[in-house]
Amino acid sequence: MDLFLQTLLNGLLQSGIYALVASGLALAVGVVGIVNFAHGEFLMLGAFMAWAASAFLGIDPLLSLPIVAVAVFGVGALTYRVSIRHVLLAPELNQMLLTFGLGILLQNLALMLLGGNTRTVTTPYQASSLNIGELSIGGPKAIAFGLAVVVLGALYFTLYRTVLGRQMRAVAQNRRGAQLIGIPVDRVYLIAFGVSCGLAAVAGVLVSVLLFASPTVGLVFALKAFAIIVMAGLGNLTGVLWASVILGLSEALVQTYVPGGGGWSDAVFFLMIFGTLVIRSFRKAA
Amino acid sequence: MKTLLLTGVLLAVSGAGAVKVGVLIPLSGAGSVSGQAAKNGYELALDEINKAGGVLGKPLEVVYGDDASAPAKAVPEFVKLVTVDKVDFMAGGVSSAVSVALSGPAKQYNTFMAWIGAAATPVEDAFADHKYFFHYHPWSYYNFEAILGFFKTLKDKQGAKNIAIAYEDGPFGSAGIDATVDAFKKAGFNVVLTEKFKTGSGNFGPLVSKAKAAKPDIMYWVGYDTDALPLATEIKQQNLKLGLIYGTPPSWPVGFEKNPLANDIAGLSLWLPTSPNKESAAFVAAYKKKFNNVTEEYFAPLAYVNLKSLAAAINKAGSVDKDKVAAELARINMPTPFGPLTFSKSLKTQYQGFKAGNWLHFQFLNDTRVPVYPANFSQKPVVWGK
Repeated sequence: MDLFLQTLLNGLLQSGIYALVASGLALAVGVVGIVNFAHGEFLMLGAFMAWAASAFLGIDPLLSLPIVAVAVFGVGALTYRVSIRHVLLAPELNQMLLTFGLGILLQNLALMLLGGNTRTVTTPYQASSLNIGELSIGGPKAIAFGLAVVVLGALYFTLYRTVLGRQMRAVAQNRRGAQLIGIPVDRVYLIAFGVSCGLAAVAGVLVSVLLFASPTVGLVFALKAFAIIVMAGLGNLTGVLWASVILGLSEALVQTYVPGGGGWSDAVFFLMIFGTLVIRSFRKAA
Repeated sequence: MKTLLLTGVLLAVSGAGAVKVGVLIPLSGAGSVSGQAAKNGYELALDEINKAGGVLGKPLEVVYGDDASAPAKAVPEFVKLVTVDKVDFMAGGVSSAVSVALSGPAKQYNTFMAWIGAAATPVEDAFADHKYFFHYHPWSYYNFEAILGFFKTLKDKQGAKNIAIAYEDGPFGSAGIDATVDAFKKAGFNVVLTEKFKTGSGNFGPLVSKAKAAKPDIMYWVGYDTDALPLATEIKQQNLKLGLIYGTPPSWPVGFEKNPLANDIAGLSLWLPTSPNKESAAFVAAYKKKFNNVTEEYFAPLAYVNLKSLAAAINKAGSVDKDKVAAELARINMPTPFGPLTFSKSLKTQYQGFKAGNWLHFQFLNDTRVPVYPANFSQKPVVWGK
């Protein structure tokens, strides 16, 4: 029984980091309408910035988190101005190729400037945990889960209770209509894309504490974020948390109870994408 | 203008005929720590070789290629080095998966391979019939022989009985895992858990939960540097009580030794800067002079020995004829930081350099790697956690 409960806890805690990564991606898809294949690389930027702040300035990654988020928001906004903005009306394939290329560019820049080494940070709370009987709740993962809930709550509040949120929803529904009633569409897109990148960086900071920083660290999380937003429905922010929890729990259950499950766990998200798309197409046909 | 042209012609003439060695190593990707350590070793060896007169009377040339620890990138890079850069010999090679993929083109171009890494047995199978394949790193069964020897000592002295095995699901971790389990059982151990994981995923929660239920004395993990900290963190968070965490990554993360979570974790190395032999001390001094630091990665001296021995064999052969160089390299008996380098048969290949006797076991203690076994290298006794 302890093993089962610990497995559920492991899955739940893992889902926090997935939700953080996926929330930014869902914002980019939902508001800007662009599938950002470079999302994992913005996460990587956040991880490296947190590592650099810790290694060179001695700043704890959690303290550097707001600065890193703002800095990567800036990088995202600049990326939007320089590149994304010009392909918004282009065919989807062009948009995907652009973001894919951006991802490769950022990854290779990191390789050239920082090398391919794995970098780790040291914090006093890295291995902290709360033990209840035989069950253990890892500190940094619990922080990630809490942050994911707060971030998604804040995003939900912004989208449904603020002027900017109304503008974002209007732009997402009908770009031309929103423009006609005087909404600064370009500015809304810029903010949404920047925030999406900033959220990836927040996840990156936590990844640097939980795992490591390296030029390729973002890829695996970006792939899982794609699975989550497909499950939640493209651009559906409210569905991101439950989709992340389902993914985290499924992976943990497969890892614990399927023989050789550690090797299968990364196939879980592909199965989920497949299953979701098949069920949706059956529903549509019905 | 005439002077410029003349200088150009002279430079071209002086470069013509220089021996070229292609070095294919992972400068990025999962094995990049080893690859970058190896690059430093090659640079140091190249300096020394060229200062001593070069190879066949001309400065030796090294052309680097990044295999990115990925077969899909390694194969075109290898073909480019052999066909476009027209290197005379190939050196390098860290990843087993990459090396297996290279066996086809290596045979197609009949390439001379002086290979430093790639310990998995599928590589040995792939190159068994290649007559120009010189393998420096011990094969995985030699590594395991050394590990089993250490664990048997822990069984006798600490009462270690139960082993949990966590291995990455690529060729590096998976090759020979059944034989590993059998060998542990034959040596009187209980293998209480055998679990695979995806390297780089960092998701060790379920694996550690299962290990906790199995109550092992030793956690033996076979993976890469990216797995070291996430696994150590999860073990600590879930309060898994172990006598020893023992890992065999080709390299450890940069700065891992400074992290308190690294304390007492044990590993395997062919060499440490404290290795008590004359060549090791000379290598450490030369490395420090060139790079202003000291490396603990054994791929640095391994690459150094690789290029120095290859250059010596070419000079002795007096030409770049592959058969003549192979004959000279096969005869080599060279003092190195690891002990003497000689080539003899392994289970399947003709030319195997270092074997089980070259390994030493260390623990991360007080921010550094301290040799703890075998007795002739040991500086401190093993710290046993139970």
